[in-house]
Amino acid sequence: MKKRKGFHLILFAVGLALCCAVMNFGLIQTSKILIIQYVGIYIIFVLGINLVNGYLGIFSLAHAGIMAVGGYTASLASMHIFTSPWMFPLSLLTGGMASVLVGLCVAVPSFNVRGDYLAIITLGFSLIVKSILQNLEVVGGPRGLRPIPKYTNLIWVYLCVVLAIVMVNRFVKSKYGRNMMAIREDQIASELVSVDVRNAKSVAFSVSAFFIGISGALICHLLSYTNPNSYGYSAIIDGLVMVYLGGVGSITGSIIGALIWQILVQSLRTIGTWRWIIGGCILVVIMIFQPNGIFGNRELSIAGIKRAFAAIRNRLAKGAAGKKDGQ
Amino acid sequence: MSAPVASFDNVSMHFGGLKAIDGLSFSVAKGKIVGIIGPNGAGKTTVFNVLSGVYTPTAGEIRFNGQLINALRPHVITGRGVARTFQNIRLFERQSVLDNLRAACCAHIKYGILDVMLSTGRMHREEREIETGCMDILSFLGLADKAGVKAGALSYGDQRRVEIARALACKPELLLLDEPAAGMNPAEMDLLNELIVRVRDHYTLTILLVEHQMRLVMGICDEILAINFGRKMAMGVPAEIRSNEQVLEAYLGKKVR
Repeated sequence: MKKRKGFHLILFAVGLALCCAVMNFGLIQTSKILIIQYVGIYIIFVLGINLVNGYLGIFSLAHAGIMAVGGYTASLASMHIFTSPWMFPLSLLTGGMASVLVGLCVAVPSFNVRGDYLAIITLGFSLIVKSILQNLEVVGGPRGLRPIPKYTNLIWVYLCVVLAIVMVNRFVKSKYGRNMMAIREDQIASELVSVDVRNAKSVAFSVSAFFIGISGALICHLLSYTNPNSYGYSAIIDGLVMVYLGGVGSITGSIIGALIWQILVQSLRTIGTWRWIIGGCILVVIMIFQPNGIFGNRELSIAGIKRAFAAIRNRLAKGAAGKKDGQ
Repeated sequence: MSAPVASFDNVSMHFGGLKAIDGLSFSVAKGKIVGIIGPNGAGKTTVFNVLSGVYTPTAGEIRFNGQLINALRPHVITGRGVARTFQNIRLFERQSVLDNLRAACCAHIKYGILDVMLSTGRMHREEREIETGCMDILSFLGLADKAGVKAGALSYGDQRRVEIARALACKPELLLLDEPAAGMNPAEMDLLNELIVRVRDHYTLTILLVEHQMRLVMGICDEILAINFGRKMAMGVPAEIRSNEQVLEAYLGKKVR
């Protein structure tokens, strides 16, 4: 146990050193660094969505609205209150906390409403947030906010991603995670084995909203502007695609989903609208062969890799033996 | 006689015009195994549903250890010490047997969200405690080797036992078993008989069970409550019920004179 902790710390330090090196010595093109940052930020976003849509098993579409609240609040905080760069974590926290508050509001209808109906309610929530922002002149109306100080850099993204992965991992392995998965499997049975369903859902929605809000804040401080149109249908669909591509109920899945989709979308920018067609095709294929996503309800582990290799070796050995028999 | 663990006082549960339970009164004494019998649709499962908080009764008072529990939500009632199993098995199928039990320990876990995020010693200690507690229950029921198996992959009989194990993980005083012998053959039923008595003695429980199988009911129950159309027909020791005319009539039909 101790040994593993040390290993993780070393891994973390190496990652941090790598980030510093990349930033200071220009090892990688700026455009590539931008893509890496996108991937990192969307990993946090997808981890947040996965808590509700994957582990809790509720089909929510509120993530765009929650991201907007987090992004706008954090941006306003750094523009007006926390104006120096070292106060950036405070703006991030402010954004995250604002998201938690709206996340709790979204959790309330989920106590009684289920399935498609809740999807419609949460979709409504996202659209309401968007049109409020569009009509609120204080935050720039349809033009949005600018200039937001450009605080996000590779190191901040790296720190946030590591923190998010560690926190979500601890969360889903605790009693809260067990409660979420119990509710996903059978809500009535879980109530009758003493799971407080309302409390569990509120906690899940707030933790989820916190990470979605942080990702929104990071993106705003990366692009140094934001406007209501960034939080429309495309943001909703982007989030869902990454969750269901990578895998529901899986941390590895969230990382893989964000990685594949962001690299695809960002690197195919040159071919314009065609990238949506390619992306869509990939999604269709994955849904047919792996309906729960690439890592649906599984995690990548060293033991798992060993088992997979053993299975492949077995199959190969059997295949060879079969051939011999045939001859 | 000591104070009853659970008591129904003139309880009614109406669904629109349907009177699933109609003015039912009875009480369960501590440490007893009480069976509830009655023809299909007599309201047996509804008794469990109002007692465990799935429904709030239309009228009447339900008490557990002297406290009124009518309007409480299910998880609160379970937390106070009423646990149940289901007629049609309702395990968390995609989770391991051990995780099924751990989820049921929820009411007895004290650590909060900060303990989780900081991964404190308190959290690890409590997690270890509930894990040993759950493993104890599993080995008592002979399921220790199944702890890591997904609940949905178990055989029917094992799933039934895991349901009982999960209910025990809630640390109940009163255990409600809803048709525990459904789909079992006579040999399995005898094993179940023995198991229920063993569980009662080991965990000092009071057990209330709904059952159709007379072999089970007559074999282990200290008392039997017979209901029909949501009303009490008779309550007494098995021998009394067996010779009660009203009960015979409800099950076998009226004698032709």
